[in-house]
Amino acid sequence: MFAPNRLLRLAAIVVAAVFTAPLVFIVYRNVLLGADFGEIFTTSRTWHPFLRSIGLGVSVAAASAVVGTTLAWLTIRTDVPGAAFWRVLSPLPLVFPSFVGATALISAFAKGGILDRLVEPFGFELPELAGFWAALAVLTLFTYPYVFLPVAARLRRMPASLEESARLLGRSPGQVFRTIVVPQIWTSILAGSLLVFLYTISDFGAVQLLRYDTMTRVIWSNGLSNQPLFMALSLLLAITAITAVTLESRSLRSATVFPDSAKRSGLLIKLQRSRWLAAGGLGLFFLLALVGPVVSLADWVLQGIRSGRTRGALAISTDGLWGAIGSTVMVSLAAAALTVIVVLPISYLSARHRGKLSSITSAAVVVGFALPGIVLGLAMVWWFSRNDLLNPFYQTLPLLLLGYMVRFGAQASLTSEAAVAAVPGRVEDAARMLGAGRIRRFFTVELPIIVPGLLASAGLVLLSTMKELPVTLTLRPNNFDTLATRIWASMDNVSFAKAGLESLVLLAVSAVLTWFLVLRRSDATS
Amino acid sequence: MATHSEPSNRSSLGIRASVLALVLAMVLTACGSSTDADLIESGPLEGTTITVYSGRGEDLIQPVLDLFEAQTGATVDVRYGGSAEMALTIDTEGDNSPADVYIGQSPGAVGFLDQNGHLAALSSDTKGLISGDYQASTGNWIGVTGRVRVLVYNTELVDPAELPATVLDLTKPEFAGLVGVAPSNGSFQDFVTGMRGMLGDDATADWLAGMAANNAPNYAKNGPIVDAVTRGEVPMGLVNHYYLLEFLEENPDLPAANHVFEPGDIGSMLITSAAGVVTYSDDTEAAEALIAFLLSPEAQELSANGEKEYPLLASVAAPDGLAPLTDLASITVDLNDLAGGLEGTQELIDNSGIQK
Repeated sequence: MFAPNRLLRLAAIVVAAVFTAPLVFIVYRNVLLGADFGEIFTTSRTWHPFLRSIGLGVSVAAASAVVGTTLAWLTIRTDVPGAAFWRVLSPLPLVFPSFVGATALISAFAKGGILDRLVEPFGFELPELAGFWAALAVLTLFTYPYVFLPVAARLRRMPASLEESARLLGRSPGQVFRTIVVPQIWTSILAGSLLVFLYTISDFGAVQLLRYDTMTRVIWSNGLSNQPLFMALSLLLAITAITAVTLESRSLRSATVFPDSAKRSGLLIKLQRSRWLAAGGLGLFFLLALVGPVVSLADWVLQGIRSGRTRGALAISTDGLWGAIGSTVMVSLAAAALTVIVVLPISYLSARHRGKLSSITSAAVVVGFALPGIVLGLAMVWWFSRNDLLNPFYQTLPLLLLGYMVRFGAQASLTSEAAVAAVPGRVEDAARMLGAGRIRRFFTVELPIIVPGLLASAGLVLLSTMKELPVTLTLRPNNFDTLATRIWASMDNVSFAKAGLESLVLLAVSAVLTWFLVLRRSDATS
Repeated sequence: MATHSEPSNRSSLGIRASVLALVLAMVLTACGSSTDADLIESGPLEGTTITVYSGRGEDLIQPVLDLFEAQTGATVDVRYGGSAEMALTIDTEGDNSPADVYIGQSPGAVGFLDQNGHLAALSSDTKGLISGDYQASTGNWIGVTGRVRVLVYNTELVDPAELPATVLDLTKPEFAGLVGVAPSNGSFQDFVTGMRGMLGDDATADWLAGMAANNAPNYAKNGPIVDAVTRGEVPMGLVNHYYLLEFLEENPDLPAANHVFEPGDIGSMLITSAAGVVTYSDDTEAAEALIAFLLSPEAQELSANGEKEYPLLASVAAPDGLAPLTDLASITVDLNDLAGGLEGTQELIDNSGIQK
């Protein structure tokens, strides 16, 4: 017999070690290149963008927490008309690569853009989409699914008894939500918001297009010109991420974990007359988050089809599109499965054996998500191109998948951790008393309960991988195209019609995959 | 990774020159007759694989590389990405880099590779193909095509007669808030590097400070500036010339035009896409043959007509409607000659406050 506890710790340590690869690279290069850390904090040209990144990250996280939680509650716990339909739509905005989403919204809002043409007859003038508020709004629209997916998974499993009692005592749906529901889903909200925060501080495309100057811009513009600063600032982002995740796990420690019920709760809140109001609200929201960008992209495509051109901005071509769809589906499915399985020991350790070791392992996992993608990509290039043992894997699919895993491990670990933590202790105890071994207990008792949470993790990694660009460009095999790399190439070439078509295809493929693999499955297992 | 059929005990100048001569001769004869690839049964580079890291897009460069493959028998394995990302990748790979050839969109990224010792010297045969104005003073990279910096303006909002003759005048108060810039974009940085080379750091810092004082609106890159100008969001913008040509192809009625500054003005400097042989290539002759091919008349015509860029080969005419090449300032400074190289440029930009 081996000791399962020791095995778990060992697995968590090994996995965490893999995740520290980018950190080792940055620290090594940093020391090698002799960056002056003092300089970073004494000049406003790095200090101010850093503060702006933190401010934007916190704001977007807070806004996403509100939006994601509201959507999850409305679509899962209430009788809002069309709940199932809204549930499928809800995770989708995550799939817009932020540079595409931002470009689409900017062109929809701009003078002569599709939204402008809509409101102009009524005498409205749309604000120019730029600056802090625009960045806050756009990033929230594209990142709230990080909160929605884990919270929705949690809501599905939450025992309804407390809510029922509160309702019987005459509390309004709103009061029940605030006083009964929120405390129980708090861990999932926190985990999701942390992901949003990390995404925001590492985003480059959207903030750049929306003309809000943050840390990633400084990092990026120093990539060629000042490598020591490039590395030092990347390290600063990594430290920020580690701090954020440590703070999060501190606050989780004090939070009460409410166990899940093994059965899906049957409670539906009757919104009564306000149900149509809620449906209207959802409609309006998705008009902005999904229909807006989609119509804007479709507008590009239609212009292209009407022009009938074969060259230039309006040329449409579907050469290689099928191959790119296949590649995208393949790598994103593989990355989702790999990531969720590999980081499970870390989530398990954090949820069950919270301590020094779990703090370190869960901190290690988040680093890859907070770094600008190019820095993570270069870290993997450094490890794999220079090392004889690893070199055979350089620029191959296994390395690309590893890159995705290191990039998105945080999404899986944080979401899965909330799922594992919610397994009721008494179920475990009962199984143990009946003499079931640790491993057997895991597969027969715990796994069925945490599956919806794991599927939510997989869904996040899946959608994130489908749109991933910088890591893909840096680590892919030659001639390996995903939809995201094609969209990037089209935009780079000012081929808007083609970029629009490819983006719509990406959205459609994501919608189908999300429905089949995440929502339908998790509905069925409930 | 370049895998040559020959053992690796060669690399004499003689072989290098003869391969080059062979390729060139073949290209020249192919030019006169048909370009049908089937005519060539077995090219001089049969069995050779050349790995290209290209920051230039697939649509721009793949047709040229396909032609090279057809004519030489070589296999070209291309890796596409951003110019800066590709340069950083080679820098990180170091002497394990699989790349034989680097092709980038701007002198900045290729200059970075040169500065860090990642590029091999080009032979004088290759360097002799085009004017020395369009290649590195170190002799380690060479221009392939050119784009010109212009002032794009909205024809409904701006009277062309009032446009300045020199970019330096844009700091005047009458242009306050009217000229869009992309300070974090590579071509703006190249332009500032060019200005440093031509006018010195002090004059460059003054100009940047003047633009900052004028509150020049910031955009992410060239495309969004041109878009904003055509919509009238901002009346003018400093960009590369060809974005507007793309937009006009989409909609010829757009109220926008490119303004080229007076001949020799730094405001209309030529920004070259550039290529170099990566030092760690194990087949530098083949790599250099490919670069020489990029400067052949056929390849130059493919690049220029299709993409509305300037060919750099003197014998190929400039695209219709563009200012003659000879009117344009071109800067191919050795970054090592400028204080702090690219870092110095970035510092000047950062310290000026032009980045809002």
